[in-house]
Amino acid sequence: MKKITLEVNGKPYALECPDSELLIETLRDRLGLLGTKYSCLEGECGACTVLLNGENILSCLALSVEADNAEITTIEGLAKGSEPHPLQRSFVDKGAVQCGFCTPGMILAGKALLDKNPHPTDDEIARGLDGNLCRCTGYIKIIDAVRHASKK
Amino acid sequence: MPLLKEFRYHSPATVGEALKLADKSKEPLLLAGGTLVLNYLKRSPRCPSDVIGLKKIKALEGIKDSKEGVSVGAMTTIAELLDSALIKKSFPSLIQACARIATTPIRNMATIGGNCCSRFYWVDLPAVLESLGAKVVVATSRKKQIVSLRDFLSSKPSKKAVVTRILFPRKDLWGCYFRYTKTMDVDIPSLGLAFACRRNNSKCADVRIIVNTTTSLPLELKQTQKLFEARELGRIDPNQVRECLDADAKGTKLDEYRLSCLAADLGNLK
Repeated sequence: MKKITLEVNGKPYALECPDSELLIETLRDRLGLLGTKYSCLEGECGACTVLLNGENILSCLALSVEADNAEITTIEGLAKGSEPHPLQRSFVDKGAVQCGFCTPGMILAGKALLDKNPHPTDDEIARGLDGNLCRCTGYIKIIDAVRHASKK
Repeated sequence: MPLLKEFRYHSPATVGEALKLADKSKEPLLLAGGTLVLNYLKRSPRCPSDVIGLKKIKALEGIKDSKEGVSVGAMTTIAELLDSALIKKSFPSLIQACARIATTPIRNMATIGGNCCSRFYWVDLPAVLESLGAKVVVATSRKKQIVSLRDFLSSKPSKKAVVTRILFPRKDLWGCYFRYTKTMDVDIPSLGLAFACRRNNSKCADVRIIVNTTTSLPLELKQTQKLFEARELGRIDPNQVRECLDADAKGTKLDEYRLSCLAADLGNLK
């Protein structure tokens, strides 16, 4: 077991977790942040995407002990009170959500992209979201939603 | 049920500490970006007793330029390579290869050192690094040595050696990289082609053509290299290219599909 400190969605946590625990397990099973999804668990689908120090990474491929002292943002950390983040609002406005399983990862990948490149082209948006799979929407509306958010 | 079997994790601050830990351990595993290794551990019946994370070792970071060439820390991520103005200017073929590795979150996590040490034949970087004449700095508890990437990849993998840096002694090479997948772009490549040469008044010199066949170590196409030597790109007979490729392919796993891909792209180089 190792003692680690994480800042998750702006809140500090001091945790003791097994050396071999993955970040997705810590976030979901210890902190109850269920927006980060268990899915392929191989780094293929992007449903477990979180931001680690501002970069989108896959929490199924990261050890929690290696995230010690890091700032982590999950989908639960985007809204300000009852006010959704502009990307969340765009996904709703543009109908970019169907079953919703991929949506947390998509939105976080979109946030990482817009934080780095506030006015991306459609190609840059597609590339920024290339690690996130959606089986429902066909991606067009998701790209629309990120483009829409970039104009706000 | 936990996704990984239990192991002890260590986070050394120096290469020396990492090597001491590896020497003391019964079954050590050196962990770079983790994108390949952690997946492997999820499925493997075996489990290391000690995982030695390399993320906190400062000596494995950074991209440095000097008269002797460019030195890239083994823990430099693929995304950092893509963002580096020095790499963009000096090694366009490396940028082309990095841009096509996996997906954005994987590129944010995976490292150049991990890519070279994984020993999975389908990874992209070894072929392009070899075409650029890259060398690796390998540290063990007894010595530190600089070896060619080819020698490193041909040697027996060691769990008690740390690749600290990748060196590019030459900055005068022009190059390009082609990657072929049968389905989606993010898939494992079925073939990678790295071409590098010095452009000498529009003629090629010191030509290096390395392919990643997915089933063996990167392959040097010696006959085809000779054909391009002292010739102008775009003025080489495609039939001659194919003849040389056929000669290079003898005894290898380069099949008709792969050979036709290589012939088309090498024939169209300009």
